[in-house]
Formats: sequence, C-alpha cells, structure tokens
Amino acid sequence: MRVGIVGTGSMGSVHAQAWLQAGVELSGVISGHLEHAQTFAQKHEIQAFSRLEEMLEVVDVLDICAPTHLHRDMTEAAAKAGKHVICEKPIALTLKDSKAMIEVCSSQNVRLFIAQVVRFFPQYRAAQEILASGQLGNLGVLRLKRAGYQPSLNWFLDETKSGGMVMDLMIHDFDYALWIGGKVSRVYATSARASNPTSSGDYALVTLGFESGAMAQIEGGWCYPKGTFRTSLDIAGSQGLIEWHSDNSSTIKSFLEPQNSGVGAVGIPSSVLTEDPYTTQIKHFKHAITTNTPFDVTPEDALAALEIALAARESLKSGRAVHLGSSR
Amino acid sequence: MSFAHLHAEGYIGLLRSMPNVEVIGFSDLDPTRGMKIAQQYSSHWYPSHETLLEQDLDAVIVCTENATRREAVEMAARAGCHILCEKPISVTLEDALAMRDAVTSSGVNFMTAFPMRFDPSLQILRERIQAGDLGRVYGMNGINHSEIPKAHRAWFADRELAGGGAVMDHTVHLTDLYRWIFDTEILEVYAEVSNPFYPDVDVDTAGIITLKLENGMFAGIDCSWSRPTTYPRWGHLKLEVVGERGSLEIDAFAQHLTVTSSKPVIRNPNWHGWGSDPNKAMLTEFFASITEAREPSVTWKDGFEALRVALTCYESAGIGQPVRLENL
Repeated sequence: MRVGIVGTGSMGSVHAQAWLQAGVELSGVISGHLEHAQTFAQKHEIQAFSRLEEMLEVVDVLDICAPTHLHRDMTEAAAKAGKHVICEKPIALTLKDSKAMIEVCSSQNVRLFIAQVVRFFPQYRAAQEILASGQLGNLGVLRLKRAGYQPSLNWFLDETKSGGMVMDLMIHDFDYALWIGGKVSRVYATSARASNPTSSGDYALVTLGFESGAMAQIEGGWCYPKGTFRTSLDIAGSQGLIEWHSDNSSTIKSFLEPQNSGVGAVGIPSSVLTEDPYTTQIKHFKHAITTNTPFDVTPEDALAALEIALAARESLKSGRAVHLGSSR
Repeated sequence: MSFAHLHAEGYIGLLRSMPNVEVIGFSDLDPTRGMKIAQQYSSHWYPSHETLLEQDLDAVIVCTENATRREAVEMAARAGCHILCEKPISVTLEDALAMRDAVTSSGVNFMTAFPMRFDPSLQILRERIQAGDLGRVYGMNGINHSEIPKAHRAWFADRELAGGGAVMDHTVHLTDLYRWIFDTEILEVYAEVSNPFYPDVDVDTAGIITLKLENGMFAGIDCSWSRPTTYPRWGHLKLEVVGERGSLEIDAFAQHLTVTSSKPVIRNPNWHGWGSDPNKAMLTEFFASITEAREPSVTWKDGFEALRVALTCYESAGIGQPVRLENL
C-alpha cells in the first residue's frame, strides 16, 4: 500500500507516525506551502510534491489532513484517479459537499474513510461495548466533554474553512453520541461566540434529544490555557453508570520545576498507551482496504455527525431548537 | 414543621449544637414517622402543626413535602414565627405568591434554604469571578446529580406531593447559584425532560437544561437522578465557569474519604464526607437575621425565581423550544 499525505500540520504528523507504526511506507507529501512539504519530506525521507495530480500517480491511498473546506476537491481528484481516500473529520463543511464526496467515491469504486478517531480511543470504545452489552440497561443521560485551547493556526479560526469550534471539535462527540444513542430528533445549542461574536475563545453547550427519549449534553471549548486539553464521558443508563474523566486517568504524573516546554499548535488528547488511537485507526483502515471488509465508521456516519453539527450551528443562529426530520 | 424532607434530620442535630437556640420539638402529620423521629432524636413530637405553633416559638423550619409548604408557611406566619423554608418553596407560582403575602402581612422573616451559598468554595468562586479573575465569562455548566431519593422519602417521586421529579428537585440549587454568583436574573430556559431511569414512577428522572441569563451568559444544568442507588454517595454538585482567561471549577463534595468494607453495605466503596457543612452557616445566618431584625441574605424572591425556572423547564420540554421568562 502506497500512501500520500496532504497536509503537514498536527494531523499530518500524527498520521505519518501512525502509518509508520502500521508498517506502511509513505510515498509522498503535499502541502499548501511547498517549503512545509519539503521539511516534512526530509524528516520522513519521502518525496515532496507540488501538484496533487503528480502525487496521485504514485500512490494507492490519499490521506487528506488538509483544512475542511478543501476535502471535497481533494477527494474528487483522488477518486477520479482511482485512489482510496482517508480524510480527516469533519467530512466537509456542507451536506452537499459531503454527499458529492460519497457519490464520487462510490461511482469511481474507491473506498472513503472519515477519520472519526474517537471511536478508536479505547475508553470510548470500551464504554460503547459495555452499554451495548446491556449491563447499563437503556441509555438515559449522556454527557460528553471535549475542551482544549484555541488552535494557533488561522484556518481553524476561519469559520468558512473549519466551521468553527462547534463543527471542528464537537463533531467527535456528535459522532460518538449518534453511535451509542441512535437517532436524534432535537438539537439546541448556545455558545460564547453566538452570544458575543468578538469573544476571544469559544465555549458551547449542545443538548440533543434522542428519538429513544434519552438525552445528551455535549460540551466543547477552545477556552483553556495553552497546553490544557480535557475530555470526559458520563453514560447513565436505567441500570448502571459509566464515568470517565481525563483528569483522573493519568498513568504517569510529573511534578517538576517548571520550564519552557513546547505546546502544539492544536490540542490533541493523549493517553499513555502501547498503541495510540490514531495508529489503531490507520491499522483498521489498512486492514479494511486489504481484506475488502467494511469500515467501522462509514461515510454515512460522518455525514450524520455533520448534520448534528449543522443543526447546532443553525440553533446558535436562531436561538431556537432544531427539530430534525419534522416540520415542527 | 414536618420531617417529610430528609434535611430535617440534619437540621435537628445542627440546631442543638448552636448557642441560644432551643429546639422545642417538631410536628409531623404522619404518626408513624413522628413517633419514630421522636424516639430517634429524643425530641417532642406534635401530631399537628397547630399544636406545635401553640408553643410560643420564635422560628420554624418548614420541611413538609413541596406541595404542602404553602399551608405550613401561612400557619407559621399567622403564628408570628420567622420561617426557614425548604426548596423548592412550593410547586406553583400561585402558592409561592400567597406565601409572600402571608409573611409580608405578618412581618416575619422568610428565608429560602439554599445552603450552597454558604459553601466556602462557592463563596471563593463568587469572589474570584466578581474580582475579574476569569476575565469576561463565556458561560458555565453545572451538575447536580443524585440517586432517586424515593428510598429515603417516597413522596419525592410522587407527582402530587413533589410537583415533579428531578427537575423540581435539583434545578433550583444551580439556578440560585448562577443568579447569586453574577447578581443577574434568568432570561430564557430550554430543557430536555424525561423519565428514562425509573418507568415505575410517574415523574421525570432526567433533565438537561440550558439557561440564558440577563447578563448575556449561558449556563447548563444537569439535574438528573442518574446515579445508581449503589453509587458511593447520594450524588454531587459540580460547577465549571469558563471565561477568557480559563476556567474555575467546583466539586463541592470532593472532601471525602473513600471507605471500602467487606461487610454487606449498600455503598461500597462509600465516599464519607469530611468537609464543612454549609447548612450550619445557613442556619447561623437565619438566626442572625432574626436577632438583628433584618432581611436574611437569601430571600423569598430567591426561592421564587428558582421555582419559576423549574416550572419553565417543564413548559419548554412540552413544546420543544426555549421559553422566555415573563418580566414580572
């Protein structure tokens, strides 16, 4: 399997490491800035390309770690060249773009995988399995939190490129909520940016009402000091409960004299694990492609998560709850 | 007045430890409970509120069921007793307004029992926020989870006597804290309300609430009875306030010992609290307001506004949209 990466930012580097762990050699890299691609290429001993079409000639898989507004064009280019696609979340900024991506991959007979990586985090997967096993009874109230610091890269802050915090960050938990809670009928959202467009950071609460009668509160933020990233889940069922918080699961803690340590441009949750979840995800992709078996996360799942994110943004704008699949 | 509310059991011990306070006895319309409590606490039981109020009292604590507080408050006011009243102060606005009229015309003090205002950590939180430590505040999110209280007092899950379930029971504390911390009022309420946990009771057991405040902030409340009855404690109260300089977080009952036993106990492990009891400071303020002939720091209006929010949650859930509070 020959893989070309688009994007040399945080996710590009994380994916490159994951491909290495999965025993796949990268074939090339491309970036919006040629010098970034060259530095990245040098580090990973691969070739830097200046045009996507050239790179597509020498790979089997295109790994898109580029800003969200570029996902559609790149996916279409790859699909038309007959290459499989693995693409960072969210799938795209609009339902139209997402559906076009799904259609082109389907008509060109290539596979499309959206990297909703939270499903590969062991604590999230284990919680899903425990709920699915029935030992908690039926889902009642789901609480999910994901809050870090504001990315220092400009495209994240440009809503026309990233969709903003609610779309870029909270999409992870929207996907997880749909995975374990099923269909959603109502979405209501409030955020710091919606209350005050000049707000320097962002912080949001999104309430979901599931068709089952269960409910979820999803909390997201680019609101903490640099270097802080906190996640938690709380799954309350009619016969049991799962609680987990990143504050309380460090297997190694350090209490050292403070020194200037580098902080990544984008916050990424971390656990000390033998295999990091990004590698688990890449290995899953590789396995599904080589054995021609289904992905654990389908593009339709990613599309459903995007629908929730778009409904949340609509609610932020209108101040009303958005009722999905009804005229209410 | 009455041991229907389980807080009465905490109050009687605290009252006896306070100088210049003499506990005359208690009324309870339930003879079984009355005799049991009289024996357990070596106190005098009066089988009716009237017989208790004949004892030339200075003050009473109203611990009846939610729906029977109006009657008790009106009787106590007529007898010229100052009143500390459990929350929610009643189950309808009409009852709450009648209570106000009764205490106003008798000239007695009325204090709503919101003990969390007297919690030292929450007092520090309020001071730091008002001093501007967080910069501009974006919003906050609070959790007041518990087990279903019906094992201790069945009426909590009785629609007639409680006026509702988890939303009625637990929305008021955090609502009051938000009003108090920011000296602001609640503007709008959105709520998901349902009973996913205990199909055998006819009240709500889960609620996810979002409030919009007059000062432009928003605030979440999870009031669900979502902790299993085997949880290490009755539940908890947590609150995070997020602003442009980061966040401040409260875990009001974090001061506990984790006790594990090999004996057959219900909570195993058991979180045994050792922190300061805010109820003691609340009672001290109640008596100080009487001896200093002034209004208590927590008033009828505080109880009324919190009740309004709880009632509006049901209205919002009924129509699936946010509901604006009427400007009274």
